[in-house]
Amino acid sequence: MVKCPLISVVDDDESVRESLPDLLRTLGFAAQAFSSAEEFLASECVGQTRCLILDIAMPAMTGPELQSELTRRRQEIPIVFITAYGDETVRQRLLKNGGVDCLFKPFSEAALLDAVNAALRAA
Amino acid sequence: MEVSREKTGVQDELRRIVDGLPGLVWTALPDGCFDFVNQRWHEYTGLSLDETQGDGWQTAIHPEDLPDLLERWRSILASRESGEIEVRFRRFDGEYRWFLIRIAPIHDEQGHVVHWYGINVDIDDRAIERQRVQISFGHVLNELKKPESRLRTIIDAIPTIAWCTQADGSGEFWNQRWYDYTGISWEDARGWGWRSVIHPEDLGEIIDTWLAHLVAGEAGEVEGRLRRFDGQYRWFLFRFAPFRDEAGNIVNWYGTDIDIEDRKHAEALLAGEKRLLEMVALGSPLPVVLDALCSLVDATAGGCYTSVLLLDRMATKIAHAAAPGLPSSYREFLKGRPVTCDEGPWGMSVILNTQVIVSDLASDTRWNGAGYRAVALSHGMKSCWSSPIRSLTGELLGTLTITRREEGSPTPGHQALIDQFTHLASIAIERTRNEEALTRSEAFLAEAQHLSATGSFSWRVATNELMLSEQAYRIYEFDPAVPVTFDLIAARVHPEHLPKLLEVIDRARREGGDFDYETRLLMPDNSVKYLHVVAHGGRNACGDLELIGTVHDITQRRLAEEALGKARSDLAHVARVTSLGTLIASIAHEINQPLSGIITNASTCQRMLNADPPNVEGARETAQRTIRDGNRASGVISRLRALFARKELPTEPVDLNEATKEVIALSRGELQRGRVILRLELAAGLPCVTGDRVQLQQVILNLLLNASEAMSGVDDRPRNLVIKTERDEGDRVRLSIKDAGVGFDPQAAERIFEAFYSTKSGGMGIGLSVSRSIIESHSGCLCASSNDGHGSTFSFSLPLASEVVTDTHGISTTKTTSLSDEARVVRNT
Repeated sequence: MVKCPLISVVDDDESVRESLPDLLRTLGFAAQAFSSAEEFLASECVGQTRCLILDIAMPAMTGPELQSELTRRRQEIPIVFITAYGDETVRQRLLKNGGVDCLFKPFSEAALLDAVNAALRAA
Repeated sequence: MEVSREKTGVQDELRRIVDGLPGLVWTALPDGCFDFVNQRWHEYTGLSLDETQGDGWQTAIHPEDLPDLLERWRSILASRESGEIEVRFRRFDGEYRWFLIRIAPIHDEQGHVVHWYGINVDIDDRAIERQRVQISFGHVLNELKKPESRLRTIIDAIPTIAWCTQADGSGEFWNQRWYDYTGISWEDARGWGWRSVIHPEDLGEIIDTWLAHLVAGEAGEVEGRLRRFDGQYRWFLFRFAPFRDEAGNIVNWYGTDIDIEDRKHAEALLAGEKRLLEMVALGSPLPVVLDALCSLVDATAGGCYTSVLLLDRMATKIAHAAAPGLPSSYREFLKGRPVTCDEGPWGMSVILNTQVIVSDLASDTRWNGAGYRAVALSHGMKSCWSSPIRSLTGELLGTLTITRREEGSPTPGHQALIDQFTHLASIAIERTRNEEALTRSEAFLAEAQHLSATGSFSWRVATNELMLSEQAYRIYEFDPAVPVTFDLIAARVHPEHLPKLLEVIDRARREGGDFDYETRLLMPDNSVKYLHVVAHGGRNACGDLELIGTVHDITQRRLAEEALGKARSDLAHVARVTSLGTLIASIAHEINQPLSGIITNASTCQRMLNADPPNVEGARETAQRTIRDGNRASGVISRLRALFARKELPTEPVDLNEATKEVIALSRGELQRGRVILRLELAAGLPCVTGDRVQLQQVILNLLLNASEAMSGVDDRPRNLVIKTERDEGDRVRLSIKDAGVGFDPQAAERIFEAFYSTKSGGMGIGLSVSRSIIESHSGCLCASSNDGHGSTFSFSLPLASEVVTDTHGISTTKTTSLSDEARVVRNT
């Protein structure tokens, strides 16, 4: 069996954690959800993750902070940011700082797939 | 016997002369026992010779003057010289009058005193009682020529000049004192020859007075200067009275010349002192006062050149030299000199704080090194007496220095003058310094009052006397020349605050106490001033009720507070109006989350069903989750609606035109960025609606920004935006916003107000949904329509705030205002 690339989802919103991994799996990826950056960092998945779908605004460590932490640990995982605060300036800043893409919630299946594929190509 | 009888007769006549002299004449034995008093003595004192003898005469002396008199009298007796005493002498009726007692001894050949002679002259008002000298002058004259006559001796011995003229005023007789004083002979004096010894300046007045009295036949007096044998003039008081025969015709005139030189001096000195004190009291500049003081000393004591040297505040230098009798070169030398013992007698008197007398400047070795001696000598000065001038508290203020062209030390007379004038100088200097300090402190106070806009006042309750400081006058804008009354103040106080003023006045009258209140003034130009008044009522030093306080003009502060309050409320208003944007952003987040879930789940569901074989179980689960997320989003909207619905609407009347103008002012920047051309068509006299001004403004702002956004991609036509207000049918007011934007599908005209329906790429459609909630809660309706040309028009209509008027038929009608449309174009480029 061909090993599917692991896509990790980090979001404090339960709706996203429930729905997004399912959609990713139907699209043929392996998916794992985490409710916080800390939980993700503590898991065994960090090294295996080929693409990280990361919420920006979370109660404890934010998305960009997790990005910095991974860079510090030399874990170069392509990141697709997702956010409920649609703001073009935030998006531009994240892309400049190395994010592969930034999706405004709610986003379409097509937009998600484009972003994930771009991330996997970058990896 | 013949001779003896004649002699007795003459003695009687002489006695009458003595009795007729205008003075109380007496003689005493060498030991001081009285052995004779004249008739006037009896008449004045009411005492007989017997009663006078021993200590009896003392009862006629004022008790306060008696100790001095006795001491003086004893010293005169001991000195065997002439003397003068001033005492109050009691008249028979108990009234005391001031008398000058002149006493002179008669010596025998060995120089022993054989008799004392005295005359008491009334100096109280110099009024002369008319008295008739009932004697035959011819007889007396003959008798007087006999040197052995005792009365002749008395007349010659009385220590005053006595004389007699004919009825026409030509001189006939003078006593020995006249000849001793004037040094002229009887031949030179007789007739009108005596005029030669009268001072030329006084002669005119004396002759006029004398002739006038001769004509009138009345007793009188006149003052003038009489030349002494040595050429010196002294002031005299000439007193005279007519003697008439039995038929009433004037036979002779009798008179005395009383030396009043010392009194004249004293009077001049007193007048000078009074002038000085007046100058001090009136606040004349100190240099002027000191010059006058020096001049007065110079004039009083001949041959003196007086200077007052004023120390600076540190008492180290001469700050000012007043020396009007000396050349300016002398003053210039002294000014600014350091104060040391070596500098000169004046320096030493300050340093040692004592009088320094230099009787011979040229030979005194103490000043060899000092420049002062050379300067003083070059001005012809030979002696120098310096005395320190001290304040009441002993502080050294300067020196009073007298220089003279003669060598010598001060006489007791000089010393008395020096003491008196150093004292006067100290009063003048201290007073001036106090005055300066007071003026300075008053100036500080006035400046402080001016700067702090605080005035002060006092009110004496009993007399209703109101005193206001300069600044208080300025605050109330009163004419400084007009005394302030409560009527004036009441006219200034704002009518609303009058009761408070009356209450304060009333309470102050009753109990005093502290007052602290704010009040308002209504000025004549209708401007308003805010005052903070703090006062304390209590008893002053005299025990009278007095209110003292300050009025602080707090108008600026109050206006600033009001402006600040208005700015705050404006800011709050802006924040509330624009808060819809923030609210919508937060709502967007709340809704984006479940929305994201819905779309993802739906996509998953679709994929699971499309799979081969379809994952029905998974699809059911994701569909379930979709429903749940949909409900979650719906819940957000419900809470939002509830938020606006719950709000109780205030019933304030809102002028939609004004509300619209405020919103435009707030969003002007936004409209300019969007290159929107805004036109206002606001109906004039638009009636108000009732409601929450802020919520309605949020709706207007939302519609305005929507319209602007709808035109953001429009480049082929002007981005025209029209805001219009108008009366609508059914007593309503309509506001519509018409844009030239992309418009919307007419089929969807109702759906756009549903939550989440948006034609905009980034919009969620929440704004229109909330806006409709707001309008509906105001009993209005919000609707949208497509324009004939481009774009769409959103409008809402609201019922008017009706003002119900009952007409004469009892039918309620709504009062409406006639309308006239006002069209205004505001171009935003």
